[in-house]
Amino acid sequence: MKRRVILIVLTVIAMTVFVLAGCTTEKAKPSTKLQVVTTLFPLYDFARTIGGERAEVTMLLPPGMEPHSFEPKPNDIIRVSKAGLFIFTNRYMEPWAGSILKGIERKQLQVVDAGQGIAYMKAAAEDEHDHDHGDHHDDNHAGGMDPHIWLDFGNAALMADNIQAGFAAADPANATYYRANAATLKVRLTELDQRYRAGLQECATRTFLHGGHFTFGYLARRYGLEYRSLSGVSSESEPSAARMAAMVRQIRSSGVQYLFAEELLSPRLSETLAGETGVAVLKLHGAHNLGRDDFQQGTGFIGLMDQNLANLQKGLACRVK
Amino acid sequence: MDILEILSYGFIQRALLAGVLIAVLCSVLGVFLVLRRLSLIGDGLAHVTFGSTAIALAFKIYSAASLLVSLPVVLLASLGILRLTEKARLSGDAAIGIVSAVGIAAGIILASVGGGYNVDLLSYLFGNILSITREEVLIAAGLFCVVMLLLGLFFNDLLAITFNEELARVSGVQTRLISSVLVMLTALSVVLAMKLVGIMLISSLLILPAVSALQLARSFKACIGLAALQGCCSVVAGIFVSFITNLPTSAMIVLINLLFFGCACSLRRLLTPGNSN
Repeated sequence: MKRRVILIVLTVIAMTVFVLAGCTTEKAKPSTKLQVVTTLFPLYDFARTIGGERAEVTMLLPPGMEPHSFEPKPNDIIRVSKAGLFIFTNRYMEPWAGSILKGIERKQLQVVDAGQGIAYMKAAAEDEHDHDHGDHHDDNHAGGMDPHIWLDFGNAALMADNIQAGFAAADPANATYYRANAATLKVRLTELDQRYRAGLQECATRTFLHGGHFTFGYLARRYGLEYRSLSGVSSESEPSAARMAAMVRQIRSSGVQYLFAEELLSPRLSETLAGETGVAVLKLHGAHNLGRDDFQQGTGFIGLMDQNLANLQKGLACRVK
Repeated sequence: MDILEILSYGFIQRALLAGVLIAVLCSVLGVFLVLRRLSLIGDGLAHVTFGSTAIALAFKIYSAASLLVSLPVVLLASLGILRLTEKARLSGDAAIGIVSAVGIAAGIILASVGGGYNVDLLSYLFGNILSITREEVLIAAGLFCVVMLLLGLFFNDLLAITFNEELARVSGVQTRLISSVLVMLTALSVVLAMKLVGIMLISSLLILPAVSALQLARSFKACIGLAALQGCCSVVAGIFVSFITNLPTSAMIVLINLLFFGCACSLRRLLTPGNSN
């Protein structure tokens, strides 16, 4: 009797899995459009805009996942091998991109390194925790370079150029269409940049404290903010008790009212710091990836950055024009 | 660095308090688990918690409420480990391996089927000893009381089945019940403590204090006492050393436990010069 019940339960589970698996394969109908596979959300969003109706763009990372926790599945590798264009951010951000490409026949696959030609910034160069953590914590991002290049919107425009060049090479027949879409995207990025410049001009404080790992360095540099994060650039690194205490002192001495935390990640450490110092926690989006609900609603990169701007203005007490 | 200054931080006070409670709890449980060859049960059950949290997140249950899903699943898994060792005559490590692999596989499959989450699962799964809230100190205290009380109540029976299960059964101890109590207390502690201080710390505190104490202790009670003492000291020392050396706290606590273990081994050799294995 007991065994029969177990058997029935197992059969039901197996059937559900097969039905669900069937659903996912059905979606991938063969199409004549250019098939584009991207790794992270900013690339997905840019490629979606540039490709318009003439390309089918997908993102490798499942919604909500930190890029570091990602491990490609067999299906992902098949998707890349069937695509005409594969776009990744840079070798610091997605060390696994190289290993996917190794096993693939690359003759008809165009590969775009979206970070090509961008001047990389050293992660946390002059910061206190640079010598605290040393290089051994940063081996995920070779050489301790900050991989979050898209958070400088000048870089984002360069990335759009790189992506557009990839589209043109993979599908020359539609090159002018892609170029026109890329131009529109770059105009919107320039407008975003201007909103940031204007919005962050007059602020009560320029100290931008983050209770997480080093993410917003590019953004802070572009708009002249003084950025400090609790831990180094690798999301696996754990802070020491001394680093926590140093951050507490920094929050107190700088007199800020808000501590920033990153969306998608657990805000435990930020909340501890905030509780210790009596400040409030505000969320910023690193835009590596989106939560499932945002993803299904089709939230875009520029929308996320406008949310960030609103929170930055609140957190730094900026005059809103 | 001034000790008073270190102690003035609230998060350090909470880390010390909750850390010591959890360390004593794990060390005491660890003695029974190590002797019953279930040392790795902490890691195994952590993987099952990963799977069960995936279920909770798939139904959009976040934070504290996800415990309501995790707890029964992990309790069942711990009983599963026990039954596997009895029914399939597997050794403890193989049984834990099976349950642990299935737990993590279920989590990964659910993550794929569910089409992702709204948050990064791994970052929510494990706590950090430096980010314990006031409520969590109370949870740790409650857990400590419940587990210690039950261990105290069943102490003689636990002792009997740990050293000779056959003999215990013959002399009328309900061995299955007592074994179940032990693994379920472990499951409860792993699930709750993992959210507080992270899994690395839990699984090392289940093993290292117990094996060090076993090197030295002459009686079972002394062994439990020594293990609890080491667990307690390692957490306190780890937090202060992490402060002074500026290195991650949990990792430092694990290393200090290893150091204690090394000392215990050397000490045993010194104390018993005749039969140094």
